[in-house]
Amino acid sequence: MKEAIRVKNLTKRFGALDVLRGIDLAAHEGEAIAILGSSGSGKSTMLRCINLLEIPTGGDVIVAGEQIAFKEKGGARLPADRRQVDRIRSELGMVFQSFNLWSHMTVLQNVMEAPVHVLKRPAAEVKEEAMGLLAKVGIADKAGHYPSHLSGGQQQRAAIARALAMRPKAMLFDEPTSALDPELVGEVLRVIRGLAEEGRTMLIVTHEMNFARDVASRIVFLDKGVIDAQGTPAEMFNGGGSERFRQFTAKQNA
Amino acid sequence: MNYFELMGFGPNGWGLPMIQAATMTLRVALAAFVVGLALGGLGAWAKLSGSRFARGAADVYTTVIRGIPDLLVIYLFYFGGSAVLGAIGKWFGATGFVGMPAFATGAIAVGLVSGAYQTEVLRGAFMAIAKGELEAARAVGMPPLLMFRRIIVPQVARYAIPGLGNVWQLILKESALISVTGLVELLRQAQIGAGSTRQPFYFFLTAAALYLVLTTLSTIIFERLETRAMRGVRRA
Amino acid sequence: MDFAFLLECFERLLPGIPMTLKLAGFSLLIGLVLAVLLAMARLSGIVVLEWFSRAYVFVFRGTPLLVQLFLIYYGLGQFPAIRQTFLWPFLREPYWCTLLALSLNTAAYGAEIVRGGLLSVAAGQVEAARACGMSGWLLYRRIVFPQALRQALPAYGSEIILMVKATSLASVVTLLELTGIAHKLISESFRAIEVFIVAGAIYLAINFVITRAVAWGERRLSPDRPADPLPSLPAA
Repeated sequence: MKEAIRVKNLTKRFGALDVLRGIDLAAHEGEAIAILGSSGSGKSTMLRCINLLEIPTGGDVIVAGEQIAFKEKGGARLPADRRQVDRIRSELGMVFQSFNLWSHMTVLQNVMEAPVHVLKRPAAEVKEEAMGLLAKVGIADKAGHYPSHLSGGQQQRAAIARALAMRPKAMLFDEPTSALDPELVGEVLRVIRGLAEEGRTMLIVTHEMNFARDVASRIVFLDKGVIDAQGTPAEMFNGGGSERFRQFTAKQNA
Repeated sequence: MNYFELMGFGPNGWGLPMIQAATMTLRVALAAFVVGLALGGLGAWAKLSGSRFARGAADVYTTVIRGIPDLLVIYLFYFGGSAVLGAIGKWFGATGFVGMPAFATGAIAVGLVSGAYQTEVLRGAFMAIAKGELEAARAVGMPPLLMFRRIIVPQVARYAIPGLGNVWQLILKESALISVTGLVELLRQAQIGAGSTRQPFYFFLTAAALYLVLTTLSTIIFERLETRAMRGVRRA
Repeated sequence: MDFAFLLECFERLLPGIPMTLKLAGFSLLIGLVLAVLLAMARLSGIVVLEWFSRAYVFVFRGTPLLVQLFLIYYGLGQFPAIRQTFLWPFLREPYWCTLLALSLNTAAYGAEIVRGGLLSVAAGQVEAARACGMSGWLLYRRIVFPQALRQALPAYGSEIILMVKATSLASVVTLLELTGIAHKLISESFRAIEVFIVAGAIYLAINFVITRAVAWGERRLSPDRPADPLPSLPAA
């Protein structure tokens, strides 16, 4: 099975704080990996290092077999090739905790924006595909509405459609339901589950333990900037995993 | 002559010159607005940039302009510009006072002043954009220029409309000061008419009424623009 | 840079400062009284008063100050009736005309600021006061005015600075305040840039002192809230 995403010895430091202390992770095609961990464990940071919204202090990031090149400049580490970064980002779909839909465009325009302007695909073709995606996530009737008229759950589903429109090689979900009212969480999780069942490669940072157990093909548990334990849900949740993971799940269920 | 004959469009009426002068007011105000927009864009970019020098320079610009009377700025450009033109003229053998073109003087001077205010308006409008939206643009692989064109500019335009409407009203009214350069905009025309007919009250009253028409129309137009621009935004 | 000339400019500009400050100070004072009256009229609930207040603010904020000044200084003299009243000795003097024009103008802007301040006092605060049995003048004096003042001070600070700048218009009707003297200096020496620098610096110094004073006032009134570092542009 091919590797969609690979990070080697990823480290990230903010000032005096070492948030990531050496992460080694490979996501194979078709895997749905749930990333769990307590606040401050570095899960979101790790995800954001993959599409370079954060620049890792050390380590390698390889997406679809292509390694991201870095250079040193004035003591800081920077991506060497701006265009490589943009290209890699366009191959990854990211869904944010706070949706981040563009407020001056309708839902349909949001979904069409990147395929038309970044990938330079013809608008008519993109529009048809976009409407299909909106129907797939269940909000086709909101295509002409502005994001502020939608509920949180609808906005997040629109954001998922927007990410899918780029035909990404892998999808990154950064706590997709943490900002939603409890009643709206379900509709978003349903969509994500559907994507996992389709066989899409995805990394999902989440707090939703039951969801992780049901949907993920692999669970990765981060603690204090390193991977403390990982395995299939069956392995992890039935007394397996590490001591710290057991403590973590106990606290979540409390 | 009664008021209506005076301001009418008959053979002795001043109606037409007054209206023409009002269009001159609009023209010089528009020119000043464009100059101010360019300066404001530059200033806002400087204030938001990482460079301490750029930020410092922009701060000096806005602080100085906001503390000095516009009339003084106009005198600077008019007399200072004339001095420069006179020096250039002397090179070519001309003597005497070469007056700065009044329209340019007025537009640049008032534009320079409004640029300081437009800097703050544009800067505030940029800061009103949700940071997450910019992040989403980056996450989808948008290069910076594309992001600027598709995400930043449209949103800055929206949020800046109320502030820019204020600045426009300011420019319209300050344009009356340009009359000191001799440019025949509305106030100067009223002065000319008043001097000629010895009926200053009627002329300045008409000028005031015409200014009122201009400012009121501007308010209506900007309110329309604001409603249209804000149709996607839920206000706090 | 000719420092001797700059010094000479400074010495000749100095006598203009008292005139500038007098004009600004008195017009602000009179204007404030009028502004409070206008705001109260607007909020009075009596239709005629409300309409008058609205019309006043509309006209004075919608027309340039220079036009208002010309109407009073040049315009009123058109009517023999006025020339015969006891007011005439005042109304033909540029000083009193300017004072009148500035006062009437700042009253309009001040009225909006005062009204905004009064309206911003949270309804809950007033209710709590009424629940204790406070009403009428006591309520206004102890609860409404202190809070309104707190809210309005930053905006009013801006207005003060604008008024100082507005005094420069007096130079157009021959008064020798700062800008008037500067204009004279420039037309005598043709060294516009140097005169501009000195005159501008004096204005900046005056406005700096005012800004500090307003910030001090804000701190005194609300020890818990940080003061506004730079007064913002008031609504046109």
